[in-house]
Amino acid sequence: MFHVKQSDRGAGRVYDVIVVGAGHAGIEAALAAARMGFDTLMLTLNLDHIGQMSCNPAIGGIGKGHLVKEIDALGGEMARAIDQTGIQFRVLNTKKGPAVRASRAQADKALYRQRMKRVVERCENLTLKQASVEGLACRGGEVVGVETEMGEVFEGKKTILTTGTFLQGLIHVGDRNYSAGRAGDFAAQGLSKSLSELGLRLGRLKTGTCPRLHADSIDYSKLDVQYGDEHPVPFSFGTERIEQKQIPCHITYTNPTTHDVIRGAIHRSPMYSGVIQSRGPRYCPSIEDKVVRFAEKQRHQIFLEPEGYETVEVYPNGISTSLPLDIQVEMVHSIQGLENAEIMRPGYAIEYDYVEPTQLKPSLETKAIGGLYLAGQINGTTGYEEAAGQGLMAAINACLSLRGEDPLILSRDQAYIGVLIDDLVTKGTDGEPYRMFTSRAEYRLLLREDNADLRLSEVGFRIGLATPAAHDRTVRKQQQIAEWTRKLETIRVNPSPTVQAQLEALRTAPIRNITPLAQLLRRPELTFVDLQAFCPDVTEVPSDVAQQVEVSIKYSGYVDRQTQGLKRFQKMENVALPEDLDYGTIDGLSGEIKEKLTRVRPRSLGQAYRISGVTPAAISVLSLYLYNLKAG
Amino acid sequence: MYRADTIAAVATPPGEGGVAMVRLSGPDAKRIGREILVRKDADWESHRLYHGRVRDPGSGAVVDEVMFAFLREPRSYTGEDTVEIHCHGGPYVVRQVLGLALARGGRHAEPGEFTKRAYLNGRVDLAQAEAVLDLIRSRTDKAAGIALGQMEGGLSQEVQDLREQLVDTLVQVEAAIDFPEEEIELLQRDALGAKVAEVVERVSTLADSYEWGRLIREGVRVCIVGRPNVGKSSLLNALLGVDRAIVTSTPGTTRDFIEETVNLKGLPVVLWDTAGIRDETEGVEQIGIDVTLKRLAESQGCMLVLDGSAPLATGDMDVMERVRGMAGLVVFNKSDLEQRIDRSTVSGRLPDLRQVGVSALTGEGLDALKGSLRDCFLDSAEEPEIVVTNVRHKAALDRARAALVEVHRAIEQGLPPDIVAVDLQEARDSLEEIIGTVTNEDILDRIFSQFCIGK
Repeated sequence: MFHVKQSDRGAGRVYDVIVVGAGHAGIEAALAAARMGFDTLMLTLNLDHIGQMSCNPAIGGIGKGHLVKEIDALGGEMARAIDQTGIQFRVLNTKKGPAVRASRAQADKALYRQRMKRVVERCENLTLKQASVEGLACRGGEVVGVETEMGEVFEGKKTILTTGTFLQGLIHVGDRNYSAGRAGDFAAQGLSKSLSELGLRLGRLKTGTCPRLHADSIDYSKLDVQYGDEHPVPFSFGTERIEQKQIPCHITYTNPTTHDVIRGAIHRSPMYSGVIQSRGPRYCPSIEDKVVRFAEKQRHQIFLEPEGYETVEVYPNGISTSLPLDIQVEMVHSIQGLENAEIMRPGYAIEYDYVEPTQLKPSLETKAIGGLYLAGQINGTTGYEEAAGQGLMAAINACLSLRGEDPLILSRDQAYIGVLIDDLVTKGTDGEPYRMFTSRAEYRLLLREDNADLRLSEVGFRIGLATPAAHDRTVRKQQQIAEWTRKLETIRVNPSPTVQAQLEALRTAPIRNITPLAQLLRRPELTFVDLQAFCPDVTEVPSDVAQQVEVSIKYSGYVDRQTQGLKRFQKMENVALPEDLDYGTIDGLSGEIKEKLTRVRPRSLGQAYRISGVTPAAISVLSLYLYNLKAG
Repeated sequence: MYRADTIAAVATPPGEGGVAMVRLSGPDAKRIGREILVRKDADWESHRLYHGRVRDPGSGAVVDEVMFAFLREPRSYTGEDTVEIHCHGGPYVVRQVLGLALARGGRHAEPGEFTKRAYLNGRVDLAQAEAVLDLIRSRTDKAAGIALGQMEGGLSQEVQDLREQLVDTLVQVEAAIDFPEEEIELLQRDALGAKVAEVVERVSTLADSYEWGRLIREGVRVCIVGRPNVGKSSLLNALLGVDRAIVTSTPGTTRDFIEETVNLKGLPVVLWDTAGIRDETEGVEQIGIDVTLKRLAESQGCMLVLDGSAPLATGDMDVMERVRGMAGLVVFNKSDLEQRIDRSTVSGRLPDLRQVGVSALTGEGLDALKGSLRDCFLDSAEEPEIVVTNVRHKAALDRARAALVEVHRAIEQGLPPDIVAVDLQEARDSLEEIIGTVTNEDILDRIFSQFCIGK
């Protein structure tokens, strides 16, 4: 603890919330706190880099699009920003089922940044300053402010750290390395030490990025084109349509020559020479990892993603690397269409400090220091969307705490954000950056992109973040869904020759009896729109309403079954474990399990069960213990 | 509730025997052992059999001369420190030894507590722990064999293997969902359907073995019926090989009923010898007949005994009416005498019952009768390799089967993978319930190890 000094810029002012960092987590955190009515200060190392996409120029994807829609429903910013600055929109997995359909968009990086900066600058209750935070000020186990490199002190009741990869960031290219938060930005050197001194355990993670190529040096004539969807679908439930021009991506592949180049220089990669000890993400491997681990594969796909309308920089998604620069050049030139490609920025690997997230409460507040919240890559996650979701939740909970209210904990059956945070605080990261996948969610059919507003608008509105307009829109949508679900059960068709002919035209079997339209819709081959043959009104139903009605009727049996499973799950979730439970005194638990439970301090029996290494037998012991506790 | 205290109990069956074993398990097992066992060694090695004496530390009196072993955790049945004392088998001695152990701080174990600890300490999985209890309760060698098989992991192994198959399939489905842009060679729909069908088949075989296993474990109740004095009690005695029922030539000797169990090549059969059924009776004998009818209603099969040496009597006709529709046998007794019964009338009335001839007196035809009786309930040709005997396992297997049938239907109908995954997960979860090891094992881990993922 050190003495809080007066400073020029922060003199005498005590902010409600201080947000350190202005990346995807920091933006959502600062905007949410300010919009919930709290005096908020946002500090960033570089005011020009607000909302920077350090890696690929895209938002969304499978599991991630889900997160963006949830952020939007709660009242966050990310969806609206990409809707206005996206240059290619695609819905992925359209044939894989309603739950896993997911939105993805290429962004114009510069426009995205500018838009975010503008929104942050003009947001009421939000003060924006450039500063490098080097330490935290604490008093009596509570954080009371931050100190900067310049010796300034800003006082705040709550502090949210969203420092990304900047904590002791170290960039590697081949055998060279240097300190940086990302290429072109200084690292934050002192903050890690301050966090350690406050009793937080830090670890080290690694991630990497691709070299950037000059568009004019790429021979596009040799490459496959990939266009976006003909009718781009927006992310935000509040965006009517995407108006801006859409541009294509291109696809190329590595080949055996590329792989030979990489293999020949593998000893010069810091990942393989032993310079980097930490493990990188398996789902986002470097090209050298792919070539080594999957030696039998003849080629690996590369998406050439433009970084914007105006810039010539192109992101060759798929060849993230930390090989030395000369090898990067040789490797790129071995690829079809890239024979003469010019590397504008080299690819690199970066190592950075993170805080093992089992040290957080589900509110994202640290257990050790009151009022200190962490969000984004500092918690061991990767991805803009994962960061944004955490930033939003950290701010919401900081504000609810200032109001003296209970924290907002989204459950695993309510939102991917709930799955994300529960996984982080329960299981930790296990030494690998955490990314969202739909397979992480147990109740996937309930957590669809298309119903994010139905799941979360009410929540966002209640805490004062989602706007009344957004809330009204959701209520209206709910009414229409109910009305049309009822209608389809009541409107029936006769097995008349006309109807049978219409059915034949739709390539589906004739009917034998009087049949409600809902019954027809249950047939896998029929869609909501097909019903217009029997009920012309359906063409007037808004597509988002139609989608809800169709999914709820078509898959009702499956949704019901997941809801059944959910009830079993909730039984265990509802068995609360006392916060002060002394696991050391419970006989029958192994030392290892005692230690894990003590470290995580699960809120419920359900959460305890999700801790890796906690056995069913240990859960039996715990529930017996609770039973006896209650029985006295 | 499970406490990590030290428990003690006699591990061998009650009654007199040459040797009995008193077992102590828990953190104080060794301390207690050292207080009551006299042996000069400074320390005891684990897993070594020692010779020593049990002495009451209070009075100094030697209680017994014993062999004993100390098993250091976790290499014991319970996974805890264990002391096993093999003492002489007399009830007095055994009581003394156990009494000393309890007096020095042991707690008398609850039924099944050693096994419960073995489960809680991860020495056995749930299916194996349940098998131990079945093994203890089993009534025939066959039932013991099944329980032993399960305890050693036969059922667990099969379920584990089926679970693996499902997880593999899930990996394919989930990889297709979460990594659509990767060039993953996914299972084709036909192959996926075929794989699921194969698992359904194996899950069904397991689920269906329950009925077989239940019979082996619980046995069947078979009522011996017939008009008075056709030799029902003689037949029972012949089957048991001892004189259990009083046999006289006076009709109506058996007025109550007699219950005995015979072992028919592993199938326990509870035989109920009953009073003969005839109409014109009164008093005590009538009560006996009422009991007979009640037993008949409660049994799963019958042996209708007829006197082969006499023509069919009215009484025989009455009894035939009573057993119509039941499983079982028609036994023509007294095959050592000249046969005067009209068998075709019997088969006309009771077409479903197999007929056997036997002489309870000489034992002729007795083996064939046993075989036929067993076949009424168990088709010996279809003895399953692994037998499910626990109703909890059966219920979980039924759930898994139902879910897999849904999976198969969804695949056939071309429903999307996120829908297929719902029941696939349900089936996997059901199987995991059996072995009690719900590992939150990450499907993702497998995806990453099998496929080249990521851009």
